[in-house]
Amino acid sequence: MKTLKNKYLNCSLLALMLLVAGCSERDLNDLQQATQYKTTPEVFIDGFPGDLQYAAFGGSDVKAFDVDKEVKYAGIASMKIAVPAVNDPNGAYAGGVYFSTTGRDLSGYNCMTFWAKATKSASIDLIGFGNDLGANKYQVSLSGVAVNTNWKKFYIPIPDPSKLKMEKGMFFYSEGPENEEGYTFWIDEVKFENLGTIAHPQPQILGGVDKTTSAFNNIKITIDGLSETFNLPNGINQTVNVSPAFFEFNSSDPAVATVSETGVVSVIGGGNTVITAKMGDVDAVGSLNISSGGDFIHAPTPTLEASRVISLFSDAYTNVPVDYFNGYWQPYQTTKSADFEVNDDHVLNYTNFNFVGNGFSNPTVNASAMSHIHFDLFVPKGITGGQLKITVRDFGADGADGGNDDTNQTQTFTSLTTNAWNSLNIPIKSMAKRTKIGLIVYEIVGTSLTNFYLDNIYFYNDGSIIPAVPTVAAPNPTQPAANVLSIFSDAYTNVAGTDLNPGWGQATVVTQPTIAGNKTLLYTGLNYQGIQLAGSLNVSGKTYLHLDYYTANSSTLNVYLISTGPKEKGFALTVPSSANWTSVNIPLTTFSGVVNLSDVIQLKFDGNGNIYLDNIYFY
Amino acid sequence: MKDNRLISIKNTLLISLLMFTLWSCKNDDNEIVKRNWELVWQDEFNTPGAPDAAKWTYDIGNGPNNDGWGNAELQSYTNRAENIVIADGKLKITAIKNGNAFTSARIKTQGLFEQGYGRIEASIKLPYGPGIWPAFWMIGNDVNTKGWPQCGEIDIMEGRGQEPNIIHGTVHGPGYSAGAAITASYGLQNARFDTDYHLFAVEWTENCIDFYVDDVLYSRITPEKVTGNWVYDHPFFIILNVAVGGNYVGWPTTSTPFPQTMYVDYVKVYKEVK
Repeated sequence: MKTLKNKYLNCSLLALMLLVAGCSERDLNDLQQATQYKTTPEVFIDGFPGDLQYAAFGGSDVKAFDVDKEVKYAGIASMKIAVPAVNDPNGAYAGGVYFSTTGRDLSGYNCMTFWAKATKSASIDLIGFGNDLGANKYQVSLSGVAVNTNWKKFYIPIPDPSKLKMEKGMFFYSEGPENEEGYTFWIDEVKFENLGTIAHPQPQILGGVDKTTSAFNNIKITIDGLSETFNLPNGINQTVNVSPAFFEFNSSDPAVATVSETGVVSVIGGGNTVITAKMGDVDAVGSLNISSGGDFIHAPTPTLEASRVISLFSDAYTNVPVDYFNGYWQPYQTTKSADFEVNDDHVLNYTNFNFVGNGFSNPTVNASAMSHIHFDLFVPKGITGGQLKITVRDFGADGADGGNDDTNQTQTFTSLTTNAWNSLNIPIKSMAKRTKIGLIVYEIVGTSLTNFYLDNIYFYNDGSIIPAVPTVAAPNPTQPAANVLSIFSDAYTNVAGTDLNPGWGQATVVTQPTIAGNKTLLYTGLNYQGIQLAGSLNVSGKTYLHLDYYTANSSTLNVYLISTGPKEKGFALTVPSSANWTSVNIPLTTFSGVVNLSDVIQLKFDGNGNIYLDNIYFY
Repeated sequence: MKDNRLISIKNTLLISLLMFTLWSCKNDDNEIVKRNWELVWQDEFNTPGAPDAAKWTYDIGNGPNNDGWGNAELQSYTNRAENIVIADGKLKITAIKNGNAFTSARIKTQGLFEQGYGRIEASIKLPYGPGIWPAFWMIGNDVNTKGWPQCGEIDIMEGRGQEPNIIHGTVHGPGYSAGAAITASYGLQNARFDTDYHLFAVEWTENCIDFYVDDVLYSRITPEKVTGNWVYDHPFFIILNVAVGGNYVGWPTTSTPFPQTMYVDYVKVYKEVK
């Protein structure tokens, strides 16, 4: 089903689609009267009064509307709307506006009425008035208008007629295919009336529900679910959608929050306020009780590089897909969500908390390269002694919750600090499986923690897990090129003629894979491996040998300088490397007792494992 | 005080809407005869709480034959405050929906106040919605000995919630009861009976029962109009109730708003002073 399509209208489209539907012969006298806002009630009886024009909605079949002189409820003609079928090249739906070019004073009427029938039983998405192709300030509509093959009278009451002193939006409709099929409906005798048989108006905001939310300064909340119920002449209640301008909104404490004419609440101070509304003299059912904590304390901004993080919920990282942050598990879950955004920071808020889950199984998360999961949790004022149990679940081979192959990692946090962000970290390295994690469950321990905020939910690697393949490039060298004699680096001009894989009988396989856009040197299955320089290299004027290395699985790794003789001296490198490469600057004095630094001809590595190397240079 | 013949079968003839017909009487049907009325009994419902036990008794349950009071009505009558209470100077009879079951209330003056002839009136704001059936009516006090409809029934006002702008005034007697009852309707052109109080009355003399809404005479029933014996010659008692569903009104629908309350500002009974 569509939503209100006219949201997508733009002016240029409209200008193109403007079709004059009414007679437009007007003399000066008519124009003068027009400025006094006529009270004409007729919209369509057997044709359109002279001030009316038709415009089709963007994306709709512009020819859906026609005047029909064969089928009519009364008089000589009706409005015929031909709803297209799915995939109709002329448009996806039928929709348009009949608007008064001059505006009318409708304050003397309390209801729009019309008759309708259709070629089959159908539910018309939307019919109403107050769409003026502009701000649509006073818009009223009926959703799901149930038509059938018999003519039936419909009523769309005006919530507060006194506001419609210069209304241009006389009638609009929007309807898509029914079960993918097109059909036709007719509308006739469209007019505004003043009916004493419409009774018991009851406006509603927030769907007529009394809601509670916590908030902070700078949070904006839109009061939605605006409607009004009327009892029709047949004794049946009917609810129409009503735009915000009909309501008068009120905040019981404007120092805590203000509310605009359009029903947007701006929280500006700490404390409690209740947002209510009136329609004329009638109190609307429904309210929003806001408990504001004043200035929001933001969660600490994460500092880990994105490459070490798989984020589920954080404004600091790109988050992976999450199916839900509240599974609303029936029948025992009481937890509601009151998530909010303050200063562009999105925060999860669980209220009336007993337990709740975050699901992310499309796809599940492979956390094999992650050592922990992190949460920032804020305990609001007034809650003390809050305790929380968190379970992280791997779905196992079936990739689905249950099936006797799940693995849980659980931790209970018993000393949460009130009115502060608590940084919670659960180690997951010991989980038997963590390649298909799909669920996090939060459970209350005790009864205190009925409300809390969550931010920055992410898996991370504290550095203790080194992926087999680096996820980032080696660090960019910072030495000025003039100081450098480079053997292997994209950052410098390397000395020419070097053989990176001389045949010394080694088992090592040498390749040069690209890691994060940067060419690196990879020794796979190292036993030993040489680097043959083109000739004798004099590094006696240099101080250090620099190299960046990365290995997840080496237990022994040495680097050697070799001068003619051969004379060689090794230096043991710490392995494995860090998860983000290890950079070393080895003083050349390490080698100078044995190796002639003015005559270096080869470098050599020995040890085991797979070794990534980059930025091998003297400086 | 159950009376298993205290049943009114209220299937009435189909009648056209907005009828203002005045039934022909001997001379001038339209003539409103000015009479001197002396107030002899009233309840202005000014004491909050349950109805005055000296004036009213209850009908409780689903009817003596458990058949919805002979009309397939759906409600069970109670004397609970949620169904019947006096507050804010009004008697409030409220029909409540509990799942698919309904409760409401019905009170009567049987054995406490009974009168033949006079002016009987009540100021009432009606409930509304399909299947809601409010009534202000009378039954002959010999119902226990003669049975219904021989005892006679005068329906001063009955409403159907799906037609909130129309009320009906009816008499039931031997040979003209239920679907054959003698009835007339009064409709408001552009207003409803559930948004404000209206005065419903009969002026009952030996050979004439005049039906009024807000001092408009809309029906005059005389012995010539009824198709059986004229049985309106002895004391009747008064009944106020809100039924839900039944043969007369049809069933409530999912769009019938509940709860529904009938508000009675006062009931007054007068005798003619000649």
